[in-house]
Amino acid sequence: MDEKIIRIKLENVSKKFDKNNKDKGALARLLDIISGNKNPKEIIVLKNISLKIKAGENLGIIGKNGSGKSTLLRIIARIYQANEGTIQTNGQLVYLTGFGHGLSPKLTMKENIFLSGSIMGLSQKDIKEKFNEIVEFSGLKDYINTKFFKFSSGMQTRLASSIGLHCVAHKNPDILLVDEVIGGGADKEYQEKSLKKMEDLLKSGSTVILVSHNLEAIKEYCDKVIWIDNGYIIAEGNAKEVIERYLEEK
Amino acid sequence: MKLKKYSQKLKSILGLSLQLAKANFKLKNEGSFLGIFWYLLEPFFLFIIILGIQKALGGNIVNNYPLYLLLGLIMFNFFSATTSISTKIIENSSNFIKSIKINNESIILSRIIENTFAHFFEIILFIGFMIFFKIPLIQLLIYPIIFIFYILFTTGSSFLLATIGVYVSDLDNAWRVVTRLLFFATPLFYVAEKGSLIYKINLFNPLFYFITISRDLIVYKKLSELWMIEITMALSIIIFITSILVFNKYKNKFAEHI
Repeated sequence: MDEKIIRIKLENVSKKFDKNNKDKGALARLLDIISGNKNPKEIIVLKNISLKIKAGENLGIIGKNGSGKSTLLRIIARIYQANEGTIQTNGQLVYLTGFGHGLSPKLTMKENIFLSGSIMGLSQKDIKEKFNEIVEFSGLKDYINTKFFKFSSGMQTRLASSIGLHCVAHKNPDILLVDEVIGGGADKEYQEKSLKKMEDLLKSGSTVILVSHNLEAIKEYCDKVIWIDNGYIIAEGNAKEVIERYLEEK
Repeated sequence: MKLKKYSQKLKSILGLSLQLAKANFKLKNEGSFLGIFWYLLEPFFLFIIILGIQKALGGNIVNNYPLYLLLGLIMFNFFSATTSISTKIIENSSNFIKSIKINNESIILSRIIENTFAHFFEIILFIGFMIFFKIPLIQLLIYPIIFIFYILFTTGSSFLLATIGVYVSDLDNAWRVVTRLLFFATPLFYVAEKGSLIYKINLFNPLFYFITISRDLIVYKKLSELWMIEITMALSIIIFITSILVFNKYKNKFAEHI
């Protein structure tokens, strides 16, 4: 029954960005007017994107940098607003782009877990429940009261990903949007552990949209793939076929 | 059902605001030799300087002048510190806003909570002076009621500034000029006699109302005129509601402009 629920539906979604944003100061704008410099005002980032993803389906999005993949995820997550078209999502949604949001160098590991957990949407009660699991998973039990800036970069990655992965798992979302978070930074043993945890998330039954340059991961976890280029869907369908076509034309 | 959803959202906004405020508070005092004492020392030194200048110029200009001055300074300080930080707060939080679905309200509210902590410390300093000048502390019990309206007004102003700050780069500089102007225009260290030009100008200054009502009540044990109280309450509520409506209208567009 649950298999038939449409979790994400996009119809003719288009997105353009205004180039004449506030980055230009008043003086620069005045000079533009005097010199007659007319920059194009808008850039089209996505054009007529339509998608329908059912419960439990995993969709991969591939394409070169700047093709519009991340913008599409942000539109689905309602971080950006589409200029045209309709977006419908059904169920609790989590947008995951990197780990370590809110981690502060001058706070201790314990303080950072509570802070980052709150930013990721967990209540204090939830974080308390998950605290030991996060610490255990990171393998940094002896550093609970150590300030984050004293951690090596590998230790920082361990903590950041442990918090992120556990917070997402605890929220158990119906829709999970993952933007380029499959990867390392820590030692091999931890990488394998976190990849396994990530796999559990991707296979937990949530509807997943995975944006990644790691085509092997896309092939492994996604039923369907869309290839975006310059804001347009170039190809969509079976993961293996679309990836092969992408590699041929790349 | 809808009410439950709203209360859950409010709970989550306040929960995150409190966590961010705690972290900001800790980070602000981290590694500082005097730590939270700076919350007392900063207004105290400004108070001593102005008091010294005033004495040199001719002594007390009004009864209980030190209390008159200190209460004005700490109330102004709360407004100035909170609103100044709000002008760039959304831009400075772009890493959260662009990469995670977060309640933007919490980012601003956390600063208001943090400055309320600081105000609490300043009030402790003020209580010390009240005891020294043998002013009964009982009037202070009503101050939280005034402060609630003051928070509403300051919160409203902060939300409006945060929204405008997303679209106007120069706002922080402009607001710095405005707060400096307000510092001198508001009768903090001088008295605006009723009927004088500065009094008439201050009738358009919201801070004047909050500070006058607080001084009347706490320092001079009297109730301000009813029209002043009515304007203060109405202004707080109007600014607060307007700012929430404006903020809600624009908040979903913030990520694209920062």
